[in-house]
Amino acid sequence: MIEAHGLVKRFGSTVAVDAVGFSVPPGTVFGLLGPNGAGKTTTLRILATLIAADAGTASVLGHDVARDAEAVRRSIGVVNGGMGLYDRLTGRETLRWFGDLYGMERAAIDARIERLSEILDLGETLDRRCGDFSTGMKQKIVIARAVIHDPPVLFFDEASSGLDVLARRALLDFARTYPSSQRAVIWSTHVMSEAEELCDRVGIVVGGRLIDEGAVAELRERADDAPNLEEAFFRLVRRAGLAGEVAA
Amino acid sequence: MRGGMVWTVARKEMLSTVRDRRALISNLLIPLLVLPLVMLGLPLVMGGLFEREQEALTPIAVEERGALPDALREALIATNAELVFVDDALSTVRDDATPVGLVVPEAFEEALAGGVTPTVRILAKTGNMQSELASGKVRQGIEAYRQGIVAERLAGAGLDPSVLNPVATELRDASRPQERSSGQLAWIIPFFVAVWALAGGQMTAIDATAGEKERGTLEALLVAPVRRIEVVAGKFLATLATGVSAATMAILGIVLGGVLLQRVFVPRLGEAATEMVGVMGGTPNLDFGGFWLMLISAVLLAAAIAALLIAIATFARSFKEAQSYVAPLSFLLILPALALQFADLLDFGTSIYLIPIVNVMVLIDDVLRGSVGFVDVLATWGSMALVVALLLAFALHSFRRESVIFRT
Repeated sequence: MIEAHGLVKRFGSTVAVDAVGFSVPPGTVFGLLGPNGAGKTTTLRILATLIAADAGTASVLGHDVARDAEAVRRSIGVVNGGMGLYDRLTGRETLRWFGDLYGMERAAIDARIERLSEILDLGETLDRRCGDFSTGMKQKIVIARAVIHDPPVLFFDEASSGLDVLARRALLDFARTYPSSQRAVIWSTHVMSEAEELCDRVGIVVGGRLIDEGAVAELRERADDAPNLEEAFFRLVRRAGLAGEVAA
Repeated sequence: MRGGMVWTVARKEMLSTVRDRRALISNLLIPLLVLPLVMLGLPLVMGGLFEREQEALTPIAVEERGALPDALREALIATNAELVFVDDALSTVRDDATPVGLVVPEAFEEALAGGVTPTVRILAKTGNMQSELASGKVRQGIEAYRQGIVAERLAGAGLDPSVLNPVATELRDASRPQERSSGQLAWIIPFFVAVWALAGGQMTAIDATAGEKERGTLEALLVAPVRRIEVVAGKFLATLATGVSAATMAILGIVLGGVLLQRVFVPRLGEAATEMVGVMGGTPNLDFGGFWLMLISAVLLAAAIAALLIAIATFARSFKEAQSYVAPLSFLLILPALALQFADLLDFGTSIYLIPIVNVMVLIDDVLRGSVGFVDVLATWGSMALVVALLLAFALHSFRRESVIFRT
């Protein structure tokens, strides 16, 4: 469903993404796990067609991210921790506007909003201006906005940062239930417990490189039967000679 | 580029601007309500103050080194002045005890009688408006006294006063009706279009570019299947609409102010106020063709400003940073508009119509004065259309650059 091969991205002399490749089949939550600055966001931005890779290829549902960007964008939704909303628009206006951007009919948009309101308990957020929202309310509309067009692929980039425990739980539940035979999720995080709880497969990214990838149980096994994913992460990073990157 | 998608982007930006109370007040209400008061009320208030000063009893410090002739005393008192005799007129004026002073030289009357021209010294503070007005009264009194002496001497010599005016002059207004009636509108309209297209457009432009980055909404917009060219065009269209709205409100404000003054205030204040309204306002005398020439030119000017705003504000990381980038633009626009006041003294030549932004201001000035040339219109519109296209291409290029879009 999502394929990445040998992705490279440089910013000046800094190599932000260094030959990263992975595959995400349908029905999967794939975790990109690594410290801040590891290259997770840059990788997701390449997949979301926001920036171009210097080398390598990637595709979403068979659409090449470089050559068929518009088709890729129709297939994805993106939620990240830093995403904001238009303060002077209500939740409903925000969702309708994004529905318009995806070329949806007004009736379809309104039906989708009703459905999302049930799933995400949007309630009062729909008819209040976003500038008055709490962080948790904002996050609900950000998620609804990302899935207004019912995309088969959803990217979460440090999406739980800054959320209280209830909003974080709701977000994890939503991500967990999203994948199906036609859908997949990439969950990018530096929080080990999130990845361990949520992800079917995890790719460990450090210093722009994907140093290992597999199911959580496989990673723990490869890390000399580490007791948990966090311990496995550190053992694998040390083995790859990149402990300095994590310490930094 | 899909027109529907451009409109979708523009619609959101305009809705966002309309819901911004600060933007509504500063872009629509201030030009409509406050500008007429500032532009036309101020001269009336100033005129009232001058008139009051003229009617008030003005103290004049008189230092008599020689005796003050009775006729001069009466002439000064006739200007509504009160004579205060002092030993040192200079110190009196310096200490602000009186706004003006007069030093009568020694043997003043003897000098006059002997046919010598004595010098009367007037002491005033230059730059001090009250002092200057008071010195005007003193000069007025001395002039009346001087004319009396001249008349007396001419009569003594058996000469008619007309001997001093051997040639008479008559001034007739040779300007076109449009030139006469447009008054200061000839430069005020292009000035207001430029200034308010900038002031009105900048909130929308900054909110739609740097504001999107600061809020974290730009990434969500760019992952939607909308093309960058549609994003730029939509944001440009919204900026243009708010800029044109603000400029229209400013012009409406001036017109409404002029009507109110002529119908309500002028009848109460009399001739002096009528003259002042004529100087500050005026009535544009446009035919159908002139109206469209001016409208298209004004929209092109607003379009160039909107494109410039989008191109510049895209680079900023935050609202504040964008404001600091945009602020110097005011000078770029205000200076040529102000220079238009002296258009009669400056020889622009035909090449002025190739200089973007300045050319539109000159062209609108031409239209309002009724002296527009076909080639000038073509040169102005062509160069402006080119500039708008180049600025939009630059803005689009910026929107495609990762280093600009993700500069946070």
